[in-house]
Amino acid sequence: MGLNDWFNSLHMDYDGQARAEKLSRIIILLFGFVGFIWGYIIQQFSETVRILGAGFILAAILTIPPWPIYRRKPLSWQKVRPQRSGDSDGEGKTKKKKQ
Amino acid sequence: MHSAFTRSHALAAYTVSVLAGLTFACFVTTAFRDYNADTTINTVTVLVRNVPDYSALREKNDMGFMIFDLKADLRPLFNWNVKQLFIYLTAEYETPNNKLNQVVIWDKIIQRGENALLDHKNIRPKYYFWDDGNGLRGNKNVTLTLSWNVIPNAGHLPNVVSTGSHQFSFPDEYTTTKM
Repeated sequence: MGLNDWFNSLHMDYDGQARAEKLSRIIILLFGFVGFIWGYIIQQFSETVRILGAGFILAAILTIPPWPIYRRKPLSWQKVRPQRSGDSDGEGKTKKKKQ
Repeated sequence: MHSAFTRSHALAAYTVSVLAGLTFACFVTTAFRDYNADTTINTVTVLVRNVPDYSALREKNDMGFMIFDLKADLRPLFNWNVKQLFIYLTAEYETPNNKLNQVVIWDKIIQRGENALLDHKNIRPKYYFWDDGNGLRGNKNVTLTLSWNVIPNAGHLPNVVSTGSHQFSFPDEYTTTKM
């Protein structure tokens, strides 16, 4: 397994990040809504908070670790070009000038 | 959202925002409730003494004393936005010195889940009923009223004066013997 593969196994791709965020918000809102209704029925606001907490845990498990479903559309980078010695020197100089 | 840390941070922030919204919605569902209730108060024994008030100027002031009954059903006051009730009994009366005197003589905290159906017999005051002079002896119009604060999870803190008060008069003679 190369360095690139190892890096990709830790990070979601852009599409995966968007889906993880969307999913987490849907879960939290759903649990909050259901908890609100249930808490109102039994007149216990602590139950509402508890159900929201359960939603938080579920969303954390589902959307925080970079599960494989969030790594289905990796960016296809261009191949690394062979470096010429003159280019790297030039880049170094321009950076210094900017600073 | 590029790392697990930023995702957990965003998730926690969003959850707390939703919780704040739910708390506000909970307040809205109870904001216009009527927290009034009916109470029945009766005095069993009423007497007045004339004794030195060592907590003040050591002059002899009137101190009222009464044993009373209290009946109130406060169960309908509880809902999911009420944590506890602070109920207190005030005596109101008029003296030549002051147009309005208010003295708290008894109080109680009823927490959520505790028995809110009050049926007390022969309560003694928790606090001394001092007048700042000699305005209690023979006072014909002393009113006992039960009031309460509703302590919510979120929202305003209603202060309710209950309907149903009790009027009584103090005797014309000081009591000098011990009870």
